[in-house]
Amino acid sequence: MSIDWITVSAQIVNFLILVWLLKRFLYQPVIRAMDHREQRIAAQLNDAQARELKADNKAQEYQAMARELERTRDDILARAYEKAEQQKRQLLDEARREVTETRENWQRQVQQEKEEFLNNMRNQISSTIQNIARKALGDLANAKLEEQMIISLINRLDSLDRQSQALLQKASQQTSEPVRITSTFKLDPAARDRLTHAIHTHFADGIAVEYDESSELLCGITLTAGEGQLSWNLADYIQRLSQDAEKALSPAAHSETEKE
Amino acid sequence: MTISPDSIIFWQWGAASLNATIVYTWLVMALLTLISWLATRRFSSGTKISRWQNLLEVLVAGIRDQIKQVSHQQPGKYLPFVGTLFLFIAMANLLNVVPGYMAPTGSLSTTTALAICVFVAVPIYGIAYEGPLNYLAHYVRPTLLMLPFNIIGEISRTIALAVRLYGNIMSGTVIVAILLSLTPYFFPVVMQLLGLLTGMIQAYIFAILAMVYIASATSAHAEKQVPAKTENQN
Repeated sequence: MSIDWITVSAQIVNFLILVWLLKRFLYQPVIRAMDHREQRIAAQLNDAQARELKADNKAQEYQAMARELERTRDDILARAYEKAEQQKRQLLDEARREVTETRENWQRQVQQEKEEFLNNMRNQISSTIQNIARKALGDLANAKLEEQMIISLINRLDSLDRQSQALLQKASQQTSEPVRITSTFKLDPAARDRLTHAIHTHFADGIAVEYDESSELLCGITLTAGEGQLSWNLADYIQRLSQDAEKALSPAAHSETEKE
Repeated sequence: MTISPDSIIFWQWGAASLNATIVYTWLVMALLTLISWLATRRFSSGTKISRWQNLLEVLVAGIRDQIKQVSHQQPGKYLPFVGTLFLFIAMANLLNVVPGYMAPTGSLSTTTALAICVFVAVPIYGIAYEGPLNYLAHYVRPTLLMLPFNIIGEISRTIALAVRLYGNIMSGTVIVAILLSLTPYFFPVVMQLLGLLTGMIQAYIFAILAMVYIASATSAHAEKQVPAKTENQN
């Protein structure tokens, strides 16, 4: 158990050298590496935090955008709905108008056809009645239809009440035109004389009388004095007949008939 | 029987001699330096590290933690000194398993040298912390009468430090040598294993005691720091 002081001093030096060597090759590198790692981890954590914050901000931004988008979408949908409604109304109106137009056209056409039919019927009836009347008068009384018309007009003139007669006279006095006899057939001179005589009797002696023919009357004879008029016309009867026929052809009459 | 490696002389030139203690010390120094250099030259500061780096980081971090626990101070200034004490003694003792090797710590000259280093380091650290007057004031506390006892205590603990390490390692070597001559097969191996354990424990004890002495020299400073820390924690 001896101490070699030379060895002791050598060992002190050795130890101090070892301290330096280990400090240089062990402690410093290890601590530096650990510190660097710590710093790096801290930096990464900070970075991650910053990124998370950024991501949060971004997420909020996107959420806001999504909300905005939704709102815009709702607006657009509302506008589109409104527009569609408007268009629907417009189309419906157009369709209604078209239907109305078509119906009116159709009604007009039906009316026209009805009128044509009635006209035809009137003409047909007129000629038929004329033939029947002519034949019946010829067979029964050996009388002519034209003759009977003249007699009928003269009878009417005779049987006019005072008031009507006064009105007719007044009308003939107010105009400078002669009294006009219009017939659908040609009047022979004897018939003209009778008529002229009757007019002179009822109006004034020497009043001018003119005779002419017109197919517009259908079948009849008319006396015209100014604005006053007196006539016997088959058209009146036919008119009444066609009115009855029209009434019979109308849907109301039809439905009544069905009810019955 | 050779007890101390001091007595094995490899080379002699006048009064200067190159004995086994110095040679094996150099061997230990070379090994430590080489391992450190090899391991740390490719150190990375990333998260993926080599096994050697991991080992050394665990070692250094462990020493730092121990210093921090004992001193309640930042370990940076004490790490080279205390850490080297531990690593040198541990490595010197561990190599005992190598046949033909003699631990330099089994020489009283080595342990004395280490104890002297501690003996010198304590006042150096104390003065560096508190200034010479404050440090020297420790010796006359609580009264001037305590000065001689403090000085005796300082010296005796240094001697105890040296002799404790020397005694433990030397005794281990001696016991193995004696057992080898008595029961050559089983017991020496067991004693070798026990010697490894003792060697590690002694390295730990030496380093921790050195740190305790240094810490006690800077205790005034540490006491000021600790309440401040606890206040902060509260």
